[in-house]
Amino acid sequence: MALLNIAEPGQSPIRTQPHKHALGIDLGTTNSLVASANSEGPFIIADENGEALLPSVVAYQNQEEILVGQEAYKLSDAISSVKRLMGRGHADVAHKLAYKLIPADDGGMPLIETSAGPKSPVEVSAEILGKLAKRGQAKLDAEIDGVVITVPAYFDEAQRQATKDAARIAGLNVLRLLSEPTAAAVAYGLDKKLQGNVIIYDLGGGTFDVSLMRLEKGVFEVLATGGDTALGGDDFDRAIARWIEEQSGQETSQQNLSGLNAIARETKHALSEHSEAEITFNGWSGKLDRQTYYSLIDSFIDQTLKACRRVLRDAGMKNEEITDVVMVGGSTRSPRVQEKVSDFFKQELLNELDPDQVVALGAAIQADILVGNKYDNELLLLDVNPLSLGIETMGGLVEKIIPRNTTIPVSRAQEFTTFKDGQTVMSLHVLQGERELVEDCRSLARFELRDIPPMVAGGARIRVTFQVDADGLLSVEAEEMSSGVKSSVVVKPSFGLEDQAIEQMIRDSHSQAEHDRDMRALKENQVEALRIIEATESALANDADLLETKELKALQESLQLLRDSLESADTDLIKQRSESLNELSTEFAARRMDTEIRKAFKGKKIEEVDR
Amino acid sequence: MNISNNFFEIFSLQQDFDLDTEALTAQYKKLQSQSHPDRFSGADDASRLQALQQSSIINDAFETLKSPVKRAAYLLSLNGIDPEEHNQSHLSAALLMQQMEWRDELESATGDEDMDTLERLKQEVETEKKVSIDEFRKTIKANDFTAGKAVYHKLQFVEKMLSEINHAEEKILDY
Repeated sequence: MALLNIAEPGQSPIRTQPHKHALGIDLGTTNSLVASANSEGPFIIADENGEALLPSVVAYQNQEEILVGQEAYKLSDAISSVKRLMGRGHADVAHKLAYKLIPADDGGMPLIETSAGPKSPVEVSAEILGKLAKRGQAKLDAEIDGVVITVPAYFDEAQRQATKDAARIAGLNVLRLLSEPTAAAVAYGLDKKLQGNVIIYDLGGGTFDVSLMRLEKGVFEVLATGGDTALGGDDFDRAIARWIEEQSGQETSQQNLSGLNAIARETKHALSEHSEAEITFNGWSGKLDRQTYYSLIDSFIDQTLKACRRVLRDAGMKNEEITDVVMVGGSTRSPRVQEKVSDFFKQELLNELDPDQVVALGAAIQADILVGNKYDNELLLLDVNPLSLGIETMGGLVEKIIPRNTTIPVSRAQEFTTFKDGQTVMSLHVLQGERELVEDCRSLARFELRDIPPMVAGGARIRVTFQVDADGLLSVEAEEMSSGVKSSVVVKPSFGLEDQAIEQMIRDSHSQAEHDRDMRALKENQVEALRIIEATESALANDADLLETKELKALQESLQLLRDSLESADTDLIKQRSESLNELSTEFAARRMDTEIRKAFKGKKIEEVDR
Repeated sequence: MNISNNFFEIFSLQQDFDLDTEALTAQYKKLQSQSHPDRFSGADDASRLQALQQSSIINDAFETLKSPVKRAAYLLSLNGIDPEEHNQSHLSAALLMQQMEWRDELESATGDEDMDTLERLKQEVETEKKVSIDEFRKTIKANDFTAGKAVYHKLQFVEKMLSEINHAEEKILDY
């Protein structure tokens, strides 16, 4: 009997596959980063100028040229902060943008007006992802096998789905969507060997997350998470911008908005270093001191602290039980944020890993593990769903099926019944949120279970199953238990894109280069065909008598076929018909050549021979 | 892991109301380490789907056994009792009176946004919960599942009360 190799439970058998290439991508509101990991640990991949941060900015110059990052940054038509639009309806976008939105007919994700036509926020994000992936590919000098993309822990279903769709359009294989604070915890836990009950406070440009995690050797567990997907350092900028408008008595036009925002951002950075900042704007100049600045931003910071309080409460933990507070996100550089968070948790803050880079580094570590490189360094990440998921019941109420902070993946079922005699259809409305009323929650999807056998009211037993996967994405199935009639949907959020639309975008973006190549080939073949047609026509006009009737007919037919194909825009067809005409006319050309030569040597048309 | 096993078997635990929560947690982490979808990110679709299902079941089993109230309901159902089937006569008049008192208190404290009263009320209900859990333990030890079901319904009331208090607090705190 052969001896079998049996791996210890929890240990994977030794794999001998070659090293694979994976990236961790932090797709941020204001800046994005890409990192990778090798046996020595994770590292940030900078661009050719040594810049680690890629501004999350895209500019469509015209049909062909799309600029991303630094090169788009200063342009007036640049699209920034697109992450705030991901999986959101037009009505959700509360603040002024430097670009125009086109509301969707169905109240779904709005489109952005660009000089290359309307673009979905998902497509714009795909451009940023594509740029980062290319940077990674160039650095690693290899095809990328997979990526881990980070999302705010508090991103809901629609926002996560939109992010995954963007990766699909960019042609990336997503190993996992990873919550940003969880990614930061991976970096601290594995790189810095941090253990205990850890608060990850993550204040980025446009989103805020706080997670309470228990880090132990080999297991990183999210106990509770909270936040606000529309709160970040951008709000500080906007508060300063509004203050400048008020003080200067100037209302900013849409064209000037990005200029004013830039001034506000510089002022914010200056106030991190100095006690006051000088501002000049449109001929107005003034000073903003720290005290005034703090009065502008304190309410935002207090909002983050409220979320911290709720997370402690959800985890059933007291402030004193927190062993460490990790600061993540560029906005945690603000001394005021540090002061208030440190006061709240009554302890020193951890920020030894660069708060801008730590999320990407953690994502790279996880990507390296998931792609299969680090089989000896197994790490179990247990994440939670940030928001409760439920279904609409009678009276516009929401019945929660999976409460917030439930460890994922999770599958939960609940039974419902019909309320009318003979009811054969039941419509199901899937919702996300903490409130009791449907109107206060976010609508994720609606679908119908049909062909329920007619029964008395309350007779049918409809089992609705919610399944949330490790990425936090939901699918829902409904089944009538007595008849076995089933209906299932992978929830395509109301704010998401249809599969068809995504496919189209994939074709548009991926095939853009191919398309350009094809168009060039078509043009070249058309020109060549025209040349052949003209040459043949002129030869026929002069020397048709050199051909037999049958030959003439064949040549004319072939000529007509090629003419017809010119309109078709079918490169292959044009090429093929050009070749057949060319072949037929070869013999004709040879005969003409003979005749010409003979004519020439007979001295009949001397002037032509000389020419 | 055999997913048709009952939750106690999944974690190799004795089928009993009293359980070693440390052993449960350790077993849970060990099983998740093997079954979590992250372990199968490079595998074929079928393996990934299986991992998703197994990992979901392990999570569900852990949640059920971790909570004394859910564990109580689960034990009843394993013993052929439908814990969700309700019968008003199960509930004593004293309990119903208590309910009404609690509810009155909750309502006025919510209206006054009186967090201290809510906190005190919560402690009181928590104490009642502990008493009921001890009571349930006794019925199970005596294999008296009918009595167990009655105690379970009391626990359900207590749990519902607690969740309403929590909800009221969250409303006041504007969470």
